[in-house]
Amino acid sequence: MKFSETDIINTVIAGTAGQGVITLKRLIEFAAQKANVDIILGSEMHGLAQREGAITSHTRYQKKAFNDPRKNLQSPLICYGDADLFICLEPVETLRRGVFASHKTSFVINKRTIPGVMITADLEEYPSLEKIKEILHGYSEQVYMMNATELSLNHFNQNQQVNLIMLGFAIATGKLPFIELEHYEEVIKEWLRNPDYNIKALHIGLEEGQKIIKNS
Amino acid sequence: MPNKDNRFINQEGKVLMLGNEAVVRGCLEAGIGYVAQYPGTPTSDIGETFQKILREQPDLREYLVHHWAINEAVASSECAGAAWTGCRALNPMKHVGLNVASDALSVIALNGPNPGAMVIVVGADPGSLGSHQEQNERFYTWMLHFPCFEPHTPQECKDFTKLAFELSEKYDTVFEIRTSTRSAHSRGFVELEPIKKGKVKGQFERNIPKYNSLPPYAINNHIRLYERIEKIRENIPELGINRIISGSNKIGIITSGMPFGYTMEALNQLNLNDVPVLKLGMIYPLNYGEITNFIKNLDTVVIIEELEPFLEVKIGEIAQKEGIQTKIIGKKYFPKHNEFSTGLIATNLAKIFDKTPRIEMNNAIEYFNSYKEIIPSRFPTFCAGCPERATLYAILKATNHLENTVVCGDIGCFVMSFFPPQESSDLIICMSGGLSAAIGMSTKTDQKVVAFIGDSTFLHTGMAPLAEAVGYNSNVLLFIFENSWTAMTGHQDDVLRFLINQGFSIEKICKSIGVPWLHVEDSYNPKHLISSIEEALEEKGLKVIIIRRECALQAHRWRMQQIRKIEVEGKKVQRTYYHITGCQMCYECARILSCPAIRKTEEDGYETMKIDDDRCVRCGVCYEICPNTAIHKSIIDALEVEVPFREI
Repeated sequence: MKFSETDIINTVIAGTAGQGVITLKRLIEFAAQKANVDIILGSEMHGLAQREGAITSHTRYQKKAFNDPRKNLQSPLICYGDADLFICLEPVETLRRGVFASHKTSFVINKRTIPGVMITADLEEYPSLEKIKEILHGYSEQVYMMNATELSLNHFNQNQQVNLIMLGFAIATGKLPFIELEHYEEVIKEWLRNPDYNIKALHIGLEEGQKIIKNS
Repeated sequence: MPNKDNRFINQEGKVLMLGNEAVVRGCLEAGIGYVAQYPGTPTSDIGETFQKILREQPDLREYLVHHWAINEAVASSECAGAAWTGCRALNPMKHVGLNVASDALSVIALNGPNPGAMVIVVGADPGSLGSHQEQNERFYTWMLHFPCFEPHTPQECKDFTKLAFELSEKYDTVFEIRTSTRSAHSRGFVELEPIKKGKVKGQFERNIPKYNSLPPYAINNHIRLYERIEKIRENIPELGINRIISGSNKIGIITSGMPFGYTMEALNQLNLNDVPVLKLGMIYPLNYGEITNFIKNLDTVVIIEELEPFLEVKIGEIAQKEGIQTKIIGKKYFPKHNEFSTGLIATNLAKIFDKTPRIEMNNAIEYFNSYKEIIPSRFPTFCAGCPERATLYAILKATNHLENTVVCGDIGCFVMSFFPPQESSDLIICMSGGLSAAIGMSTKTDQKVVAFIGDSTFLHTGMAPLAEAVGYNSNVLLFIFENSWTAMTGHQDDVLRFLINQGFSIEKICKSIGVPWLHVEDSYNPKHLISSIEEALEEKGLKVIIIRRECALQAHRWRMQQIRKIEVEGKKVQRTYYHITGCQMCYECARILSCPAIRKTEEDGYETMKIDDDRCVRCGVCYEICPNTAIHKSIIDALEVEVPFREI
């Protein structure tokens, strides 16, 4: 899909507390700034959502503003059906935010499940990954899954690079146009601890992501 | 990672900021001298940002003081005191914090903040995204007369804050910046202007009529307050803070804050690009001329605002007084509850303008509704190892699942007690409202009455109802969760921490106030706690059980730091593991303790519970309570250094 510079690019990022949803969102926004984007607006959740809760963030940018302000990006929240990209650090959270998706949405999903307390108590059922994929195919064909947690554990011996791997995976879809890889790398160096680890994770996600997308 | 955040140092440039960060930047550009607040979403990170700046730029301490106050009313009076020496003071709070602060603010507004300036930031929460309710606190601006700005973008958060300080000083009036959970935590571009140094020291000048709003001066100050508000009202057009997006349609819109953005995008979606829109940057007071000129040539004006109709009522009042016939609609179409969205506004504008909403939007909603039943719930819950979760377990066991027992909940992490599967709190009012309700309830029922309070809430407003409970010897069992942190709002380095470092003890306070029955317990020893609860519930009169155990999040962080430090020195550390074999699937750990680190799995074709090693913090409570002794403890490298949780 080809984007024009005046298009509004909409990304939903979903996951659970402590997975790095907000960090991932900030990286996209600060990288968009490096890419000289005219308008950036994004909304994140703080506070109550921390306690094992479901976390979602919206981030939106528009490379070139229209002269007519009525046509420009004005709100940090995406409208129903308008997301170009879903980055999901936990599978079932994709379904929870599905109302923002449509036929144009690409989904990148980490396969590692984090059961809520009603699942661990065995009082509710967690749908299978196949079922989740089947439902999402009702929106669009571009549903991609990766075991980013396993990749992070294998490469870094910790799960803290999952969000950077998923960012690389997201870049592989081409749904974050006008932002170049070096913009992300600059921002990682400026804002994160262990930039070498995180840049490596970004590249792993990108390369693995390209393979997954090509083979699907 | 940067050593210093340049966004709060640079004198110019375009940077990305959250709304709250932009408020802080606006304060720095306005020459701020004093900040006081009690933490509360969505305003906590204003204080956290000030703390960060003071850490990174200690030079600012010369003129900038930041306090985490003990409660909101205290914070407001602190700010007034500072302003009365001539400095500029900021007082952030959440919407329900304004209820607590209003007692102080009602008088401060009468007196006026001069010779200094005072700005309050009130974080509204339509949709109750981070609060126990979504009250529409805008009516306070009318009742107490705070001129109120409502920003939409981070740029406006900064600009409005700066302007509010100037006007507050000029008109001797407390100004309000009304943010919301959305605007406070939205990121966007902000153009920086130079930072101005605040006042280092001032002087309080005696002025008995101004600072004593009592008879005979109370009435004069009320008159003076009206004079100030009327002057501000007249001057609104000069501020350039309200703006019109012009259009030829005979139906127009008046809106403010976050709904403005949703409205503009909804209009664009519906191809309604000829609709005139008045965006109010200032929602109280309103300038009669500005409103009249906008609405007088329209057939209909639609007021788009979240929660109860505030603007609709005030604009209706102006139209009625000026004899304008324009139809004013708002809450006839838009809900009085919950947060708005572009989709909701587009749907309702489509009805008003007789348009069809976009098919993609309706398809997305319809398809989502077709499968949403399958999505498992994900409640916020207590962290693995939380001492509050273990306490709820003990209460459930000691009372045979709350048989003939009422639990009066309170604000703190344990506000989540009512969620399944524990469902162990029956009611919630406000900070320290649980104990107060319990005092009343215990006189009118023979049920066992239990109440909760946390250590930060105990300081906030909890000692007053405790004194009453002692005075009347109320038949209540009170749990005080002494976890040594203001945990729910994010472990701020607040006055609770300072007090703890100075030897503060809730136990000593309880003893000196005369609590007749007092136990100090550790919920990591659940059997002992259960028998203590059983004993307490046999007694008449007031019983207090202090649960002394550090917040598991902080305790686990501290412990992991210690372990890393020891390992860096090349030494080995003793490791503890909990694992399950011979599980009888009784669900004691998963449904009654309901630890999120334990889940059901299958091993060799048999169902069993399993502990997720990466989520377990080694509190050992499941090991203590398993009725079938199926949870086992292994210590590896037992002869090496042991790193237990720290004592508090």
